[in-house]
Amino acid sequence: MATRGESGVLAEMPMPFGDDALLWAAWLYYEDGLTQGEIAGKMGLSRASVNAWLAEARSRGIVNIQIQPERFRSVSIARALKDQFGLQDCLVIPSEGEGGSLTDRLGRAAAQVLKRLVRSGDTLAVTWGRTVLAAAEALDHRGLADIRVVQATGSTTARIPWTPEACASRLASALGARWIPLSVPAIVSSPKMRDLLLGEPVLSEQIEVLREANRIVMGISSMRPESTIHTSGFLDGIDRHAHYQDAAGSLTGRFISARGAAVVGPLDHCTIGLDLSQLLTIPQKIAVAGGIDKVAAILAALRGGYVDVLVTDAVTARGVLTADGWQEQPRRFEALPETGETLPRSTGKKLMNAVKDLVDESLAGALVAHEALIAPVPGTGRAVMSRAGPRPGKVGIVIGGGAGHEPGFWGYVGKGLADAAVVGNIFAAPPPGPILAASRAVNGGAGLLYIYGNFSGDLMNFSMAREMVEAAGIPVRQIVTNDDIASSPPDNRGARRGVAGNVFVFRIAGAAADLGASLDACEAVTRRAAQRTYTMGLALEPARLPDTRRPSFDLDADQMEIGVGVHGEPGVEQRPLASADDAADLLLDRILAEMAPARGDRVAVLVNSLGGTPAMELYILTRRIRQRLKAHGIGVHRTLVGPFYTSMDMQGVSLSMIHLDDELAALLDHPCQAPALTVTGQPT
Amino acid sequence: MDGLDAHQLTALFRLMSLRIDEARHMLGQLDGAIGDADHGNSMAEGFAAVVRASVQASSRGAGAGDLFAIAADSFLEAVGATTGPLYASAFLSAGQRYRGMQSLRAADIPGLIPAFASGIAARGKASAGDKTMLDVWGPAARAVVDAQAAGSAPLAVLDVALEAAEEGREATRAMTATVGRASRLGQRSLGHVDPGAASAVIIIAALRDGLAVHLGQGAG
Repeated sequence: MATRGESGVLAEMPMPFGDDALLWAAWLYYEDGLTQGEIAGKMGLSRASVNAWLAEARSRGIVNIQIQPERFRSVSIARALKDQFGLQDCLVIPSEGEGGSLTDRLGRAAAQVLKRLVRSGDTLAVTWGRTVLAAAEALDHRGLADIRVVQATGSTTARIPWTPEACASRLASALGARWIPLSVPAIVSSPKMRDLLLGEPVLSEQIEVLREANRIVMGISSMRPESTIHTSGFLDGIDRHAHYQDAAGSLTGRFISARGAAVVGPLDHCTIGLDLSQLLTIPQKIAVAGGIDKVAAILAALRGGYVDVLVTDAVTARGVLTADGWQEQPRRFEALPETGETLPRSTGKKLMNAVKDLVDESLAGALVAHEALIAPVPGTGRAVMSRAGPRPGKVGIVIGGGAGHEPGFWGYVGKGLADAAVVGNIFAAPPPGPILAASRAVNGGAGLLYIYGNFSGDLMNFSMAREMVEAAGIPVRQIVTNDDIASSPPDNRGARRGVAGNVFVFRIAGAAADLGASLDACEAVTRRAAQRTYTMGLALEPARLPDTRRPSFDLDADQMEIGVGVHGEPGVEQRPLASADDAADLLLDRILAEMAPARGDRVAVLVNSLGGTPAMELYILTRRIRQRLKAHGIGVHRTLVGPFYTSMDMQGVSLSMIHLDDELAALLDHPCQAPALTVTGQPT
Repeated sequence: MDGLDAHQLTALFRLMSLRIDEARHMLGQLDGAIGDADHGNSMAEGFAAVVRASVQASSRGAGAGDLFAIAADSFLEAVGATTGPLYASAFLSAGQRYRGMQSLRAADIPGLIPAFASGIAARGKASAGDKTMLDVWGPAARAVVDAQAAGSAPLAVLDVALEAAEEGREATRAMTATVGRASRLGQRSLGHVDPGAASAVIIIAALRDGLAVHLGQGAG
């Protein structure tokens, strides 16, 4: 580091700067806070030279000035837009300012947003217009991989400089991406011509890429004569009053009403490119538009749900809000009891993108990782089904619960296991909708068996779904598991939670159904398995919820929590941290006391990580548990060790054991193949 | 103007959503003490979904009375969990009360509270004193019925309802949970405010403040 002179400022140009006066000037200006005049005086130069050097320092990237989007987002008007229209994000820039026209400034703002949002592997669709071109020209963000930029529509007249090809090719080069054009006009002379062109292999290949777009950056056009949609020639020779009098604006060359509904006219059947219903399916729709003449069009686009991220200016934003009847709302914090700040002992680092996408993105990963075994249930984003089913005449097994227990629940879907799994939000039961969709998808005509843990949310949602499914004439039985012996005394077993022991229960039900058992028989043997399954857990560190990264309960550094649940619920008591063998004994003794096996009886054992405890420690416990069971005269039919039923990043373990009889042992040996459990028939 | 059309009812829902969102972390912390810490998120996501669906429905010209069933569906599908079915039942019960009404009179608004209370009670099957949200909705509903019988103005009815709700919330400190996840904690739930009770108070306060704004009488 450079040293400071008496004045608090570098007195002379120090050696490391060499003779690079540019660096010297930049340092004095940005680090030491001198004015340009002071620097000029200090260096014996004109103020103009200093100014030019500082500009050069920025353009060469020696000095990097970044405006934090968070600062802009905090502007109350952006927050109001976000709330009013349920946007993912909103950037509102000042309407007046240095740095060129509003279009150029909006373009630069959009470039900042794109820099933050675009990821390697994206297929980014792009429309056209002045602002979109300004965004492409302001962007310079190479270094990402495998990006494709695809035109959202065919081409327009070349009378304008901001054609679809110009916008897409500029954006592609700014991102170092591949540019995929649509090699046709956006508007063709007849529907017949359009259909002919769509049959061309080159175009259908390009359209296929457009279908894979996961983001779009688009302008919003007003319906005024100078608007993009007019100047692009879309409405040449069209009687606007006859066909588009209801249109308030235009997106991707299509027209929408003030309420955001599609306005269909003669152009629709002659337009080549993304239509409005396809636009709605793109996960992230980034719109950049401003100017008071666009208020009606932007409002229409927001109401129609065509925008997820909006970049606009303050005057326009206020106009949109006012037009929607927005008023400043009174806001006041509730005078609620303070619970006190609990500082996390560690920061709870997590690899994630947006918190709201966590469950969907994790599920999407599971579906591709195990694509040979599981597939999405049609009509819902939160259920998976086995590729091996449904089989006519076989009982369908549907399992589920909150997310955060991965590989629960999708890991137990496959041949010889469950037919479908439904996942809710983090630690929250799934709603009836996806349960219903899964039920329909796996119904093989022999009835359905629901298996889920005993939590009030799961009970309510599965019961609501069951009523609807039964109303459709499909018989449903349900097994509500309650293996967690810590959660209630034996005389109140009905109040206990269902936790990792579910793995055995799913296994038994899946095997019985695979072997062709009737619904009655499946239900009976699964119920018996559930009654003979016991689990006990302990935690060393609580789980940290993704949005707060804070521990879900307090646990001192030298304590462990006994009887912890799988949702980060606190356990029943805290004790000083014990050794591995003592911890194993604690879990095992409680289970043996309830199971009360006779010498010579057989069990299956699951030593489960709650997420944060490594395999190394699990095997230490497994060793002790097997020693103890041997000494007790109990045979172990099968041993499972690993993260089978987790609680996000909770450090801790649970021990589950099922008390086997001959039928249950045979069912455990029945082959199965699922992402988290494969049995080939040989005991392991 | 006295009545609330669908847009104005949506504004009431929006205020509830904003207040719940502000309290998201506080509710999560309350829940973390005795449950699984998801209550703040569930409530915030549920009410955000209600606002989104109500904005769209009222733009399509739905009547105020029709919004409740739409709110019920959107809350449930966004959330699941325990709060999903409970608040879905609350909105459905209100929907039965106001079915077919193009707009609600200010005098109809306090009736939302008993409607919510009966929907929640029917679905959740909890009793008074079980340390649940019903320990707020129940007393607030009774306060509404009494104040209406005494002929109070709508805002005054909501004032006493809010008072009863706050008392109910504080009373949950002294209760041990017997249903829901907190029930497994037994004695350890003593001294903690039930998160469902805390969020219920926020909703009732937002209802009161929203009506005050609508009637031009300020947030009080």
